[in-house]
Amino acid sequence: MYKAQNELQSRNLKSLVFMAAVALVFSCLSVRLLYLQHVRYEENLQSSDENRLRRIVLKAERGLIYDRNGTLLVGNRPSYQIVIKPAEIRKMKPDVKDSLFKRLIHLKDSQGESVFDSAVVDTMFQRSAWKSHGTLRILEDASVEQVSIVEERSFEFPGVTTVVESRRSYPYGTLAAHLLGYTGEISDEQLERPEYAGYSSGDRVGQKGLEQQYDGEFRGEDGVKYVQVDAYGREVGKIEGMQNVPSVPGYGMVTTIDLDIQKAAEEALPDSVRGAVVAIDPRTGEILAMVSSPRLDPNIFSLKRRERNKGWAKVALDSTRPLMNRAVAGVYPPASVFKLVTSGAGLEHKLVTGQTHLPKPCTGGFTFGARYQKCWGTHGNLDLVNALRLSCDVYYYQLGLMLGMERINEFGNRFGLGHKLGVDIPGEKAGWLPDSVSFNARNKRNGWRWARGLILNLSIGQGQLVTPLQEAVLAGSIATGKGVYRPHLMKELRDVDGNVVGRYIPEKIFEGNMSESTHRTLLAGMDSVVNHPGGTGKRAALPGIRVGGKSGSGEWKKGEKTHAWFVSVAPLYDPEIAVAVIQEAQGGGGSKSAPVCRKVMEAYFAKKYPKDSTEVKE
Amino acid sequence: MRGSGRFLNNTMKIDWLFLVLVFALTSIGITLVYSATVNTEPIWYTSRWFKQIIYFGGGCLLAAAFAFVRIDYWQRFAFPLYFLTIAALAFVAFGGGDSAKGAGRWIDFGFLKIQPSEFAKITFLLAMSKWLSGHRVNILKPKTFVMPALIFIVPFALVLKQPDLSTALVFTAVTMVGLYWAGLSLLDLFLLVSPVASVILSYPQIPYSQVLWGLLLCVVFLALLFRKMPRKFIILILSLNIICGYASTMAWNSLEHHQRERVMTFVDPMRDPRGAGYQVIQSEVAIGSGGIFGKGFGEGSQTNLAFLPEEHTDFIFSVLGEQFGFFGCVFVLFLYFMFLWRAMSICRLHLDPFVNHVVSGACTIFFFHMMVNVSMTLGLMPVTGLPLPFLSYGGSFMLTCMMLVGLLVNMRYQGSQLESNYD
Repeated sequence: MYKAQNELQSRNLKSLVFMAAVALVFSCLSVRLLYLQHVRYEENLQSSDENRLRRIVLKAERGLIYDRNGTLLVGNRPSYQIVIKPAEIRKMKPDVKDSLFKRLIHLKDSQGESVFDSAVVDTMFQRSAWKSHGTLRILEDASVEQVSIVEERSFEFPGVTTVVESRRSYPYGTLAAHLLGYTGEISDEQLERPEYAGYSSGDRVGQKGLEQQYDGEFRGEDGVKYVQVDAYGREVGKIEGMQNVPSVPGYGMVTTIDLDIQKAAEEALPDSVRGAVVAIDPRTGEILAMVSSPRLDPNIFSLKRRERNKGWAKVALDSTRPLMNRAVAGVYPPASVFKLVTSGAGLEHKLVTGQTHLPKPCTGGFTFGARYQKCWGTHGNLDLVNALRLSCDVYYYQLGLMLGMERINEFGNRFGLGHKLGVDIPGEKAGWLPDSVSFNARNKRNGWRWARGLILNLSIGQGQLVTPLQEAVLAGSIATGKGVYRPHLMKELRDVDGNVVGRYIPEKIFEGNMSESTHRTLLAGMDSVVNHPGGTGKRAALPGIRVGGKSGSGEWKKGEKTHAWFVSVAPLYDPEIAVAVIQEAQGGGGSKSAPVCRKVMEAYFAKKYPKDSTEVKE
Repeated sequence: MRGSGRFLNNTMKIDWLFLVLVFALTSIGITLVYSATVNTEPIWYTSRWFKQIIYFGGGCLLAAAFAFVRIDYWQRFAFPLYFLTIAALAFVAFGGGDSAKGAGRWIDFGFLKIQPSEFAKITFLLAMSKWLSGHRVNILKPKTFVMPALIFIVPFALVLKQPDLSTALVFTAVTMVGLYWAGLSLLDLFLLVSPVASVILSYPQIPYSQVLWGLLLCVVFLALLFRKMPRKFIILILSLNIICGYASTMAWNSLEHHQRERVMTFVDPMRDPRGAGYQVIQSEVAIGSGGIFGKGFGEGSQTNLAFLPEEHTDFIFSVLGEQFGFFGCVFVLFLYFMFLWRAMSICRLHLDPFVNHVVSGACTIFFFHMMVNVSMTLGLMPVTGLPLPFLSYGGSFMLTCMMLVGLLVNMRYQGSQLESNYD
């Protein structure tokens, strides 16, 4: 019995030891529970919410671009992206995943071409191991055939799906491409700039042209939607108490461009010719047409990467630089068009009148010091108006020497030469009007010094740099005499319902002031260029409409044909449209570019006076 | 004393509180399985929670049957059952089983899939109890360890081969507690497992592992002196420790990089947050986000949205923690404690060593599962496949638990039968 007693005590002790161990372990577990559920409660709750809540960005529809009459110039198109869902791929067993991969890369379309690029699919499969939600794109901008192949056999491709994105489409292709610009993924360099503060990597933003200038307006506001998702990334419901924000589509823009005039200008300037056409309304600065040649097709930038890169390489490496918008970023010597400025300066300073003859008649050239400077013809003794008509260089050599560059440039500055005009597309150049100071400053490096003889060339427009836009503005504002208005492309911004939310208010940027007699004389000169016998711009004339203009043939390289300039304004005494045309290395301005001006004018007036109007505007 | 009278007498000895605890825990388990799977299984009669009720019903029948079998039959059939299980384990281990989930653990009878390692827990317990209740062990007499070691090592090795480390460790725990009940002191047990501790402590990835191992050796040495061991035992145990420590380091150094990675990831799943660590992270998040009071029944987003894999089986405790918070978890731990306490109290009622061994062994099985499973869901232990008694979904394990419950009920009310044999 004693033994039993002893044994019982020992059993009791042992079971006590056992239960003490249980109590100890359970206490440790409780402490751990308290740690997880009390001390780290907030973090764990947050992680659990992050697990189940998904913030889905609702991309705003980009605003559309119209011409001034409401014709669509830039639209949006659906673009199909074939994607994989990493959450589903990751959960697959290795053999299932392998066979899915093999099926994908061996998928062929009706031409027997692989639908997917195996390198891309491989990369995305690898990346799926590290991405917990969202999608990974394995085929960008898929064709309808490719989408239907994948969708028809979707049961063979678990975890593969199609998503639709909105991409830009340019229904007229190359038409007005330079001023419209294009969209592309935001670059790292852009992301660092302050004006792109609200953007994130992968966003498509406007590059060049209006798309870039007004990106903020076109972009709209992305919305957000909060959804509850399960571990496979499937949406399983809405979240109560979380405010969803719908996306706000971007503003549409009505531009100042007139599609018919733009088309006429595009047709008049062949793609094989490098050059530009600008047509503006000088009364307000509205740009009616703007062409830069050679052209590019902005649609290539919405294509899939492979084709985009191909197209990009083609335009980027082209020696004719099709990416440059020559209308605002191309700088050329203004050549004889500049004689309008030299004349204007002479008239303003009362050194000459329209009827003044200068001492030396044109004998085919002019002797200055030891130099003999040629004229392009032999014009005899001319007054100012006829010197403009025939574009006689000798007359302007003398007038230029009488004036000096400071006074000539001052007159040019009144009309915006040498200044950026602030047109609402990026990349505009200011050009350059040299005088002794700026010439020396610019040529410090190569040691050239200002000499008075340089005035000869500069007074006929050889040596300055101007843009086609500046030339159109110059001609237009000289003709109106009512100041220089900032050239612009935006006319109205409208919201998605068509309500006008912003209107461009014409802005006078230079007074363009001159005396009444100067104005009259310059108009007479421009009139005579086009409408008087022997005028260099007779090819710009239109029946029934008084057109004024000025030609220019810019020398840029010995032995090459000249750059062909022509500016014209119509109706000359109540101007509505001013056109500037340059064609690089095409010869004489009067013979080559005046017809281009005429065609643009024709398009404008055909619209204004339909069905062969008998009304004559003088 | 035979007949109806005895039956009445014995029903009085049924521990109703114990059965209420079992019923309460199982109800909680079914509720949690329901909330974890209701989203994916809308049809009630094919759903897991309903199957769990069926398993429980079957388990109750089995438990009742186990409770009525006379104790001397259990003693008599302990070894035959044991050998039967060994045969089944061997069959599975050497490729006869169905390799569902990669590891061959199942025997498929067509209408019934049986996991022999589950039933081995019981037959092993019975065999070990049978042997130890008749033979005392003494650390100074190594011969007394031969049979227990044999009984232990065969199923241990077979289960380890499956591979099912966690079940193998269940055998180890049962053996340790059995040896304690059979006469070894805690100090003796410590000395016995010290070579294993040496293996672990000399693991080079543990910071200051050499210092810790040195400390361990000192403690072992002092314990040996304190126990007044004969010199040859001191030398034997110390040298065993040293050999094991160096072997561990050498084995580690001979491992390839990816093998080391696998070992380290097993020990610390957080090294691989998207693979092995994913479950643990999600489990901690689920439990932690429950807070003190929980998100409420059916409100667990971690559970409902499938962020927690295996939530209805091995990670059922996370479901509990998310929905019922700290109080819910502590309440369940309290129920477990009460359950073990009521079971363990049988040892104080009956002196019979077989009863004692079976009871303490059964409690060990339960406790080991609870500890390892809950620690795993709390991120305190590596992820092993041990389910949580009464709470986790699973037929075989539910039956095992109910059989053990039946045995415990049996031991309580029939234990006195054997009293006369003793003394």
